[in-house]
Amino acid sequence: MAEEKIVAPVYDDEAEQAKFLEERRRQIEEDMKKPFDPEAILEVRHLRKAFPLKKTLTGKVTQELIAVDDVSFKLMPGETLGIVGESGCGKTTMGRAILKLHQPSGGQIIFNGEDITAYKSPQMREIRKQMQIIFQDPYSSLPPRSTVGGILSEPVEVHNIVPKDQVKAYVLDLMDKCGLRDYYYERYPHEFSGGQRQRICIARALSVNPKLVICDEPVSALDVSIQAQIINLLKDLQRSLNLTYIFISHDLSVVKFISDKIGIMYLGSMVEFGNKKEIFENPLHPYTQALFSAIPYPDPDVKMNRIVLNGDIPSPANPPKGCRFHTRCPHAKEICKHVVPTYKEYEDGHFAACHLLEEE
Amino acid sequence: MSEKKKNTGYLSGKEIRAIAKENAKVMKRLEAYKYRKAEESEFLSEMRDPDNILEIDDLHTYFFTEQGVVKAVNGVSFDVPRNATVGVVGESGCGKSVTSMSVMRLLQGPQGQIYSGAIRFQSKDYKRDEKGKPIGTETEDKVYDIAKMPIREIYRIRGKQIAMIFQEPMTSLNPVFTIGQQLDEVTLIHTPDATKEMAKARSIEMLNLVGIAMPERVYNAFPHELSGGMRQRVMISMALAANPRLIIADEPTTALDVTIQAQILDLLRDLKTKIDGSIMLITHDLGIIAEMADYVVVMYAGRVIEKGTVDEIFHDPRHPYTIGLQKSKPTLDSGDEALFNIPGNVPNPINMPDHCYFKERCDRACEKCSGAYPEMIQVSPTHYVSCWLYEEGNENG
Repeated sequence: MAEEKIVAPVYDDEAEQAKFLEERRRQIEEDMKKPFDPEAILEVRHLRKAFPLKKTLTGKVTQELIAVDDVSFKLMPGETLGIVGESGCGKTTMGRAILKLHQPSGGQIIFNGEDITAYKSPQMREIRKQMQIIFQDPYSSLPPRSTVGGILSEPVEVHNIVPKDQVKAYVLDLMDKCGLRDYYYERYPHEFSGGQRQRICIARALSVNPKLVICDEPVSALDVSIQAQIINLLKDLQRSLNLTYIFISHDLSVVKFISDKIGIMYLGSMVEFGNKKEIFENPLHPYTQALFSAIPYPDPDVKMNRIVLNGDIPSPANPPKGCRFHTRCPHAKEICKHVVPTYKEYEDGHFAACHLLEEE
Repeated sequence: MSEKKKNTGYLSGKEIRAIAKENAKVMKRLEAYKYRKAEESEFLSEMRDPDNILEIDDLHTYFFTEQGVVKAVNGVSFDVPRNATVGVVGESGCGKSVTSMSVMRLLQGPQGQIYSGAIRFQSKDYKRDEKGKPIGTETEDKVYDIAKMPIREIYRIRGKQIAMIFQEPMTSLNPVFTIGQQLDEVTLIHTPDATKEMAKARSIEMLNLVGIAMPERVYNAFPHELSGGMRQRVMISMALAANPRLIIADEPTTALDVTIQAQILDLLRDLKTKIDGSIMLITHDLGIIAEMADYVVVMYAGRVIEKGTVDEIFHDPRHPYTIGLQKSKPTLDSGDEALFNIPGNVPNPINMPDHCYFKERCDRACEKCSGAYPEMIQVSPTHYVSCWLYEEGNENG
């Protein structure tokens, strides 16, 4: 039961509010017309995904849950982007929207210089060869009635990666790369432990030679000693196959270990984005600072200067007005309650959305 | 039995029937022991050290399954001193939760049974008459052996003197009763002559104690109306309502987000000073242990492999598994080099080897490791390790 706070309207004058919204819309449209970055493998501009909650009889949506709101970033080939956030912040939805497993409600996704936002499934089939996903739970993401060989050869056959007579050799080679013994070929998923299953999931994702792999909490369901094995495997594969990762996790220390760039999400929007070094040495957003200080450190002598946030995460179906973090922010001001902060570049490649930074 | 069959782990119907017959015999005996009537003198005991509140001594808890006997807890011994926090750490399946369930006597029967061992608990209970009814509000000190107690006598301890905070706040509250009804129950059952008004006052006091802003409103709410962090606070207040001497917290923050986890850990630390009791904290997160615990017990595959004070375990870990566990977790200041990883998996719990369970994954295994399972070796007055490397006269240690 979150405490109910009375929030004043964004602007007292309705005309002024309309003007503000119009200005924003114009800005987004302008941004979307800009030419694509030829070097980037993935460019996401003002991505938005809303799920309808209530509809009228005629099908008009009267209430919606905005899971991802206005997220933009750029990713170069061979990089790893870590996405961190608490449950319900929209990190998984964002990953799925990039793969077009959810149709985005707005914004643009540019993959390899192509705008894939409006692509339908036949066109997406070609693109999916180049982008793959590894799911969180290795226990429910493998078909229980196929053998490991069957699971791994299916995508190879569907996408005609190699001629039919070479499929088995190709799959065995792939299994070797992912640390699976060759006699596992005939076995079924239930015979494996969590770590081994996650290796099968990784092998399946890599079977079509993708360029971009979205890892949706790949190690959260695993034990610490197995986690390290999988993280090392992902890093080795990235080096040898020149993969680009989007690594979604709630575990900041794992994300720090594997990522080059980090994006912090809170209630659907990206609150901070930048290079790993800058984010960790100079976190700008108060949420990022609190998140860093909240992680228990495995050394009894280190006493953390903890910033404890009050209250719970508000429901994404009814997010607070203005800055979404203002209900829990220790530095919240009057303006934070009314106006959504703009997402701006403060240092080279270091973006954040906070009113406190604008004042400085 | 051919070699190939043994390797795959498949059992024939005949074998399964043989196992079932054998299990049924043992389970029947243990179930009868659990439900027997017994005089109090049968389960009274003596503490080894009067400063301890709980002493677990060579505890064996087995699960009798169709595939064979799973020795989930296989000879665990450790103590919980007064006013201390003991952290139990280990990977999933290492028996840390089963240990706590054995202490609470919440094992799912007839498969799950305490096979042998002692759990001695320093109890401070109301004086009771022969039927177990409390006489007045005077208290007396007694030492009970929980493992020997018949299940019908366990109400003297469970929920009253030892309380438990479960991992899943979402599923541990009853969805059809209000928070108030569930909280009141604790006081009504465990305090003699408690009235409804007393219970309500106590419940509200407890909700206040755990930092819930509007206790009256939460008191009348149903569990589904609360967020995960709030539910965990309610669970904690429920555990505290009967003034327990020992709180068992089984992964209290695993299901929660990082910022909420920080709130709950802060709360637990505050409470320990307020309630004057001990906490047994079960977790897989070394960070939480480092922050909260005074003593650490490291478990692997149903056994304690190392125990000591928090300083000894974190600054001078001895067992290769403890060392590996600490190195394999990336911290916020680890560099870019590959993470240390412990190769392989935990051995199959049904066919445990005779030698050290960690031998196959250990990078320092020596000849002696193929022999008997290593004894607990004392390396300092409080620090014990179960590894042949530290045996007297061994140069490698």
